[in-house]
Amino acid sequence: MRPRPRLALILLVLAAAGGSAARASTPAELFARANGAYEEGKYEEAATAYATILDYGVIDPRVLYNLGNAYFKMARLGPAILNYERALRIDPADQDARDNLEFARGRIRDRVPEPEVPYPVQVLQDALDALSSNLVSVIFLAAYLVASGLAGALPLVRSDLRRRVIAYTLAAAGMALALAGGALAYKVRDDASGRAIVMQDRVDVLSGPAADNTVLFTVHEGTRLQIRNRLDGWCQVSLPNALSGWVQATSVEQV
Amino acid sequence: MRPRAAGIRTLLLLLGSLAVPVGPLRAQDVSVRAQVAPTRVGEGDEVTLSVEVAAPSFDQVSPPDISRLEDFDVVGGPSVASRFQWVNGQTSSSRTYSYVLRPKRSGVLNVPSLGLLIRGRTYRTRPLQVEVVPGGGARPPAAQPPPAGPSYGGRPPSAVPGGRSPQGNPGADVRVRAEVDAPTAYLGQQVTVRFLLDTQTEVLNLGMKDTPTFPGFWAEELKVPENLDMKRVQIGTELYNEYTLMKRALFPTSSGTLTVPPVAYQIQVRRRSQDPIESFFFTPTETVIRRTEPIAITVLPLPAASKPAGFSGAVGSFTLSVSADRKEARVNDAIGVKVRIAGEGNLNAVSASPLPELSDFKQYAPKVSASTSFQGERMRFEKVWDYVLIPLAPGAQRVPPVTFSFFDPGAREYRAVSSPPLGIQVARGDERPGLSSPAMAQSDVRLLRRDIHYIKTAPGGLVDRSRRLYRSPLFLVLVLLPAVADMGLFVYARRRDLSASSRRARRERRARSRARRRLKEARRRMTPSTSRAFYAAVAQALTEYVADKFDTLPGGLTQHRIEELLSSRGAPDSLRTEFHRCLEACDFARFAPTSSGADEMRRTLESAEETLVALERSLAA
Repeated sequence: MRPRPRLALILLVLAAAGGSAARASTPAELFARANGAYEEGKYEEAATAYATILDYGVIDPRVLYNLGNAYFKMARLGPAILNYERALRIDPADQDARDNLEFARGRIRDRVPEPEVPYPVQVLQDALDALSSNLVSVIFLAAYLVASGLAGALPLVRSDLRRRVIAYTLAAAGMALALAGGALAYKVRDDASGRAIVMQDRVDVLSGPAADNTVLFTVHEGTRLQIRNRLDGWCQVSLPNALSGWVQATSVEQV
Repeated sequence: MRPRAAGIRTLLLLLGSLAVPVGPLRAQDVSVRAQVAPTRVGEGDEVTLSVEVAAPSFDQVSPPDISRLEDFDVVGGPSVASRFQWVNGQTSSSRTYSYVLRPKRSGVLNVPSLGLLIRGRTYRTRPLQVEVVPGGGARPPAAQPPPAGPSYGGRPPSAVPGGRSPQGNPGADVRVRAEVDAPTAYLGQQVTVRFLLDTQTEVLNLGMKDTPTFPGFWAEELKVPENLDMKRVQIGTELYNEYTLMKRALFPTSSGTLTVPPVAYQIQVRRRSQDPIESFFFTPTETVIRRTEPIAITVLPLPAASKPAGFSGAVGSFTLSVSADRKEARVNDAIGVKVRIAGEGNLNAVSASPLPELSDFKQYAPKVSASTSFQGERMRFEKVWDYVLIPLAPGAQRVPPVTFSFFDPGAREYRAVSSPPLGIQVARGDERPGLSSPAMAQSDVRLLRRDIHYIKTAPGGLVDRSRRLYRSPLFLVLVLLPAVADMGLFVYARRRDLSASSRRARRERRARSRARRRLKEARRRMTPSTSRAFYAAVAQALTEYVADKFDTLPGGLTQHRIEELLSSRGAPDSLRTEFHRCLEACDFARFAPTSSGADEMRRTLESAEETLVALERSLAA
């Protein structure tokens, strides 16, 4: 058991060296290499390679998912959950990521009760959460284009019957547009919300943005928080059950 | 001869007197009698049935047939007592069968005629009646009626074995009573009830008629020694031997007035007999039933005002201790923590786990064990919670103080006891949480077999999909473009409509002058040779006037359409008829084979001019 950290260090160095060498290689090659390392159980190496792909600016949900898996295997619940969340944000339809996120969440130490949501709202939320923001954007644009086309055609048409047909279609398109607009607004708000994950083993949440404040409660790695404010390297965070306080910005990572 | 004869007579007399008992047995020598005592009893009490057989000898006498006793249970007997008497040379012998009967119901019950088989002959007793008064424990009245059935031979009725003496109740010197140590108690506070037997006579046997129940109480038995302790007590002027029969620790489970119900004992005592021989040779016994008086206990509710938040219902005086089986552990190692609450009182109501949820330990449902013991008459309760805690994080962890609150009835206030916190040093475990470790399990079997889904591959290559479409310029363009286009279309349509309406107005304004110009042209053709052209010009002037006024094409204007248009702007009927006539005249002249005269043409022209003037006025109005 003892030599393992040293081995990990060596692997890390090797992976870093590999990473610098891989600057020349394409993200796809890096991805294949990282998957190979993962298969061999070299999770640190795999994680470094996945992170390099992301550094290239290729933010593919599969890379995020695999990175989450690598962190999970390294028993780093915080980064694992963070990367699953990021993968799901891009591709909410990914059931694997959803399952793994749930699995990882089941292993964190904090049990934070989610506030009760009425059933219809819950159904609506689940439906919206299963759609990516880009898909919602496309639906919105389609409804918008149809509605604006009809609105433009209306003054050009003289015939009474045609005008009536266009007006009804326009009303329907307007309603679809309103729904799509609501969904898009939800997605935009969801993206803008400061969802963050605790990245350290144990983080004390203080009553103010300075170390000499009272410890209100303690959260552990992997717990999901909401960042409400930022101030000089401190974040004001809140839990779903309305507990809130300040943590150092380095101890949490925004999704 | 005479003395001899007298001697013989004396001898004969003597023989005769001797011959009487040894002579053949006569039927009247046998008699059977039955009697019950007492004849009036309370429900649940017992009566004694005695069947007395008087017969010269008992070698062929069978016991009475009691199978027809339907209203009674036979609870004792038969006990057999025999007597032999020699009075004035007359012998009499009797045998008595005694049964103890318990009435099955209240009311007047019948003891039917009982048959006895004596030397092959059946003898019957007379039927008897017993009055059973409803309501248990009713003592027979002091003035007891004489036993049913006459006694014979001058024997006092008290001599009947098993019967009750009318001179005094032999059970009067035996009694049972119940006593409690406190008539008032708090809810859940122990009340000890003792059941005592006071007796002046020898008690041979003792039993409870029913299992005692204590409704409204949780009862715990207090052991009494196998050999009852005896104590001499004085009640009134009498001295009694007192035995403690039973003790119960009672814990009231509801407030208000609760009652310790009466308990009935069936006591077999030695009967005092006036007959010293009988008391010497036999053990005359009697079974009596005695009941304790019910006791009312006032149960006070626990004061609600100062009730602490975590109060679980314990009443008494308790101590608390918390201990762990080790002070050092690794992450995911199990630590046994024992919480023990013990003391005088009842902990049955305490079910909540005293150890709160701990953030740094996984906690399993505790194993709870409870035991009771007695210290004197006070019950001691001990309840132990065995927890298994699994430290989740390394470092100096702490099991916080455990607090237990209870109501102290002695001090009449709530009290709380706390344990000091337990420090546990947790070392980092070598187990990775990512791999299945049973100790980390949230659910048992499922987790051992579960792992994360495997990594994904990207056969189609990787794509940066982090861009948000709604943030891209394209999205903005796609939103703005239709809006701008719509606006343009709207402006265009508006301008088009505006220009159309202005053109219409202009045309309408010019209608009159154009018609006039046409008529002027017609006037120039007002010659017979050009009459057709003339009429055509007039008709054109009229039609075009209407077309200009209503902004339509003159070609599509039929007679009917002109009527419609004119009436829509409120032209009077006469005018429309005139207009119509004018047009018709033109059409007629144009297509007639003969050309019309100059007068005709002038009239038509004038008529057309007038109609147009009138129309102009009417439409402008």
